[in-house]
Amino acid sequence: MNCPERERLFDHTQRLLDQPEAARVRAHLEACPQCSRVVDGYLRLDSVLDEWTTVEPSPGFDARVRQAVETSQAGSAARGLWGLRWAGGLALASLGILLVAGLVWLTRSHRPVSVPATVATQSPRPTAPAPTPREVAKLTPPSVASHQAVTAPQPVTELEPKAVSSSEDEDAHALEDDDLVANFDLLSEIPKGEARVAN
Amino acid sequence: MNSPQLFPGQCVVYNVASMAIKSDLELMLRVRRGDAASFETLLSRYRVPLMGFLRRMVRDQALAEDLAQEVFLRVYKARERYQPEARFTTWLYRIATNLALNAIRDRKDEVPESGSEEAEGGPVIERFVDPQPTVEQQLMKGDRERLIRGAVESLPENQRLAVLLHKYQEVDYRQIAGILRVSESAVKSLLFRAYETLRLRLEPLLREGRI
Repeated sequence: MNCPERERLFDHTQRLLDQPEAARVRAHLEACPQCSRVVDGYLRLDSVLDEWTTVEPSPGFDARVRQAVETSQAGSAARGLWGLRWAGGLALASLGILLVAGLVWLTRSHRPVSVPATVATQSPRPTAPAPTPREVAKLTPPSVASHQAVTAPQPVTELEPKAVSSSEDEDAHALEDDDLVANFDLLSEIPKGEARVAN
Repeated sequence: MNSPQLFPGQCVVYNVASMAIKSDLELMLRVRRGDAASFETLLSRYRVPLMGFLRRMVRDQALAEDLAQEVFLRVYKARERYQPEARFTTWLYRIATNLALNAIRDRKDEVPESGSEEAEGGPVIERFVDPQPTVEQQLMKGDRERLIRGAVESLPENQRLAVLLHKYQEVDYRQIAGILRVSESAVKSLLFRAYETLRLRLEPLLREGRI
């Protein structure tokens, strides 16, 4: 008698065989006590395995799942809100930077207009002694004069040492520019004849 | 999906099954659209089988509940990525299987593997076939259950999963193949080898049942 393989018998107990194959196995089992015992063993094992029962979730299980889902939703919403806040903050910061940059640009581009006011406040030219024609003749070119404003202070700066010492770098540059303007002012005040004499 | 019309009885069964499947899909699609009631329905439908699967996997009620909660949470979080082509239960048990295996591996460093022979003071079979007078006492219901549990838990991982999914969760071979990412023939082979091992290990119980 050709007995089927054990795996085939197992498949039979699991109802995995097609109808013709299952019919052949059934016919064999009726005539073969050995194979019948094997099949009986698998079926009995199935029934024994059923004895391993399990328990249901505890009463609070569903509530905990709901809570976890709600917490997850709240977390997502908070992350979304935080994202919006972050984006808003970034936009405000960008706007602030643009405003500051615009103000700086405006200030710099209108500097010649503001110079007289600065000079008026910083250099007390009206009270300074007027230079003699000889001094005027000795005046150096504006570029050199501006350099000297830092290295060798002009009389104007000597009058206000505080302004130079307490000012920032930008103020120092502004002072140099003021000196330039002042020098040109002085030149324009020189009578033509005297200038000609000096030359 | 076309229903076979050759056998009326078979057709009815087939249609009922497809309705159940469609129902899971339908519920999940509704969850995807934000329907909380559909999520509640899925929760009530699968809380007990999922809990049973995880409880048998990790052998710890509290841990199993934590994992089951995590499974449902992940289902909810991943609702927008859910593919209607896949069966819901395949997806559900795949998540559960991965979480359970991770939990078991994490716990391995702390205590002996759950269900391993050394975990409860020696090999299951040796304890069972020990010819002491306590054998009859061990055959009390609780002990029988403990022996069955020990025998299943001592199976190799994939065989154990196949048995749990097929025997206790009534998941079909095709789905088990999808959950374990193996072929259907591999699932058949896993189950056959598992049953052969269990048949030998639980032989005393099988004999007891025969008397």
